[in-house]
Amino acid sequence: MLKRADTVVLQQLVKLEGLTKSYAKAVAVHPLDLSIQRGEFLAILGPSGCGKTTLLKMISGFVHPTGGAIWINGQDVTTVSPERRSTNMVFQGYGLFPHMSVAQNIAYGLHIRKTPRAEIEQRVREAMDLVQLGEFADRSVGQLSGGQAQRVALARALILRPEVLLLDEPLAALDLKLRKAMQEELRRIHLATGGTFVFVTHDQEEAMALATRICVMDHGRVVQDDVPEEIYAHPKSRFVSTFIGDANLMEGQRKRNIICLENELEIPHKGPDGNVVCMIRPERMEIAPLDGGKLPSGVTAQLTARLDHSVFLGSYVKYVVRLNDGRRLRIDSRDLSIRQVLTDGAQVRIGWRLEDQIVLADGS
Amino acid sequence: MMPFTRLRALMLAPSSAIFAVLFMMPLGYFFVLSFWRVRAYRLRPDATITQYLAVFRDYSKPMVFTFILAFTIAVVTTLVAFGYSYFCRFKAGRHGTLFVFVAVLTLFGGYLAKIYMWKIILGSSGILNTALIWLGIIDKPITVFLFSPIAVLITLVHYTLPLAILPIYGALRGVEDTPLQAARDLGAHPTRVLFDIVMPQIRLGMISSFSMTFIFCAGDYVTPLLLGGPHTSMIGIFIQSQFGLRVNAPLGAAMSFSVIALCLMLIAVVGLAVIRIFRARP
Amino acid sequence: MRAWRNGLWWSFASLVVAFMLSPIVILMVFAFNRGELLSFPMTGFSFRWFADVFTRPEFVAAFENSLIVSTTVGMTATVVGTMAAMGLARLRVSISAGIMTALTVPLMVPPLMLGVMLLSYYTQWLGLRLGLSTVIISHLVFTQPFVILIVSSRMAAFDFAVVDSARDLGASSLRTFFTITLPIIASSILGAALIAMAMSMDDFLVTFFTIGGGNTLPTYMWGMLRRGVDPSINVVAVLLMLFSISASLIGFRITRYGK
Repeated sequence: MLKRADTVVLQQLVKLEGLTKSYAKAVAVHPLDLSIQRGEFLAILGPSGCGKTTLLKMISGFVHPTGGAIWINGQDVTTVSPERRSTNMVFQGYGLFPHMSVAQNIAYGLHIRKTPRAEIEQRVREAMDLVQLGEFADRSVGQLSGGQAQRVALARALILRPEVLLLDEPLAALDLKLRKAMQEELRRIHLATGGTFVFVTHDQEEAMALATRICVMDHGRVVQDDVPEEIYAHPKSRFVSTFIGDANLMEGQRKRNIICLENELEIPHKGPDGNVVCMIRPERMEIAPLDGGKLPSGVTAQLTARLDHSVFLGSYVKYVVRLNDGRRLRIDSRDLSIRQVLTDGAQVRIGWRLEDQIVLADGS
Repeated sequence: MMPFTRLRALMLAPSSAIFAVLFMMPLGYFFVLSFWRVRAYRLRPDATITQYLAVFRDYSKPMVFTFILAFTIAVVTTLVAFGYSYFCRFKAGRHGTLFVFVAVLTLFGGYLAKIYMWKIILGSSGILNTALIWLGIIDKPITVFLFSPIAVLITLVHYTLPLAILPIYGALRGVEDTPLQAARDLGAHPTRVLFDIVMPQIRLGMISSFSMTFIFCAGDYVTPLLLGGPHTSMIGIFIQSQFGLRVNAPLGAAMSFSVIALCLMLIAVVGLAVIRIFRARP
Repeated sequence: MRAWRNGLWWSFASLVVAFMLSPIVILMVFAFNRGELLSFPMTGFSFRWFADVFTRPEFVAAFENSLIVSTTVGMTATVVGTMAAMGLARLRVSISAGIMTALTVPLMVPPLMLGVMLLSYYTQWLGLRLGLSTVIISHLVFTQPFVILIVSSRMAAFDFAVVDSARDLGASSLRTFFTITLPIIASSILGAALIAMAMSMDDFLVTFFTIGGGNTLPTYMWGMLRRGVDPSINVVAVLLMLFSISASLIGFRITRYGK
């Protein structure tokens, strides 16, 4: 066993080394390395089946890795059973004990550790204040709403002061308004406790709202691991660009450092010859009528298209246009005045600034 | 929810009639009967507790023996039923329902037939002894298997097991997996999870199984008669004999109600104990 | 280590299954055994005891009686029980739970007591003559609760939107029941009927006290047990067993597939 570095509080709290899990027929998680820093709020984001839940369960101890190691705070916990790990989890569906009251649920972990009664009472009160459930102590679990139940589950885990708090799709079961409110709550609690949170989600908006760092997974592999701004602005693959935020994708060929898109537009871009994909975010594109309209200066990449339809969404308008080859692109524009001029079926000019485009090698 | 209309009352009429005329009234009559006397082989209506006194005066030994044996059988059956149901729910995966199905199927198949078969299996030259001798585990047949309380125990555990599995398995199906994982995550090892989280949720199922088995065994007649031997006098035999040659219905009635009353009291005690032991703490 | 513990569980469960099944299996073996004695190993496979048993008039009479009683009980209990379950459907739980608990109390009384109780009631109070009819009505007491339980639990999972739509379209209660509800829950009802039949077929104690003269298969077997053993008793036992097991097997299958 590795000797614990006693005098130094490890900044790198969790280290996954070559961690992998396979079942009889398939590999759920390919060998991956990941490190989680103390105080982070990490999101593991990906579509269903990408292995994120399996990964979370390996960290919490409920799934035995097929290979690799997990280090928490300098100790190898790969074979440690869940009840002895310093992690605690908020489960999907919350898993509250139906025969216990709210206070009893929250106190359970301390009860197991034979904490003295007075201390239990005090810490339960603190935990309930933290999640703002003050008067609910004696309520029975069956009477709670979704949001309340989740807060109980949170309190129950946090009261044990785990080194890592794991959350499995924490906001999935909540309706929209509640979800927004809980996002705020989670952020507040994270700051208040200064703990290290890791949560798993398929909702990219949630990931962006909560996380200090996002780890994107697809088919059992980590495809990008960075802060939200970077992932959004510089996705490394087609998958990441479409999974996080909306993306317009156009295919073209690069020859001699010039990309040809849609047989219409040529853009200088250094790189190897071959097929490429050009990605631009909808809010970074501009639109204007073909006749009598002009795109702002600086918008040097331009294409012609036909307006399919537009939707007024309050603070912006969503335009859907069709290129000559039938491909559809989406442009989000805050200029509400253009809408009067543009009718469905009208010819338009669309464009973007070269610095806003992301060029990806095709196949990534 | 819908109101209680005349139509509903009509629909419930036949079964209520059966319940009233064929159960409540006989029960009531039987209860009244227990306060009557028999003189010169004739029933004499009366209002006396002579019969009940007779029960506790003359039949206290068989009563005590019956209750001890019935209690033991009920405990064994409930424990085995719990283990089996636990297996079906948590350890058997997708074969769980198949195992339950097989168990419940053996519910049918003849009360007498099963008693008869155990008599054959447990006898001195029966299958069990023959097998044990053949395997070399013993030299001479073990006679205590048959015509003893052990025979009654084995037979009745066998007979009541399928019935005991049903309520417990039903209750276990209502126990969800996520709270169990949560308990482990919070630091409880598997045994602790069983005691703290699973058992409190299935208390009523366990009590139900225990009660059914206990009452059935306390009132059984055929098994002790055919398999019990001379030292196993259970109260059921005496009850039956009041309606056979002896013809002392009031005494039989008093015995029956005594048995039921004592059963219920014992079940209440056991039930309350179980509820208290498996409750949420602190 | 976990595999080892799992192995223990599977061994335990298999032992329990073996324990529960062994008398039944052994009985079958003996019923088809050619030899006279109830010995092991089998001396040959034969139907001879089956043939023998059917030549005895008392046996045939008992067999017939069993059929008459169990089919009558099955049908009656089903009709009565289904009606009750329908009467309780969609009722406020506090009321329906109370009524259902009351109606299932007969199941908690030991069969012996039920038998002697009914015997006293019929002979001493009502002055009835004992016979198949008294057996039939006695069986209803403990089969009807089962039917009510089975059909009620089916109704608990029933989607009443179809009934409401039918009523909305103009169908009367009766018509709705026969054309909409009944076809949907038919399998549960059939299953309950078979289980009621099996229970009636199986019963010994209540029948013993309420039949007077005459026999059903179980009481006939009882007579054989008291008189002395000959291999044909195995046949009776097996027939009894096969009958009730197959009825309940079909009953279970149907009840589950119908849902």
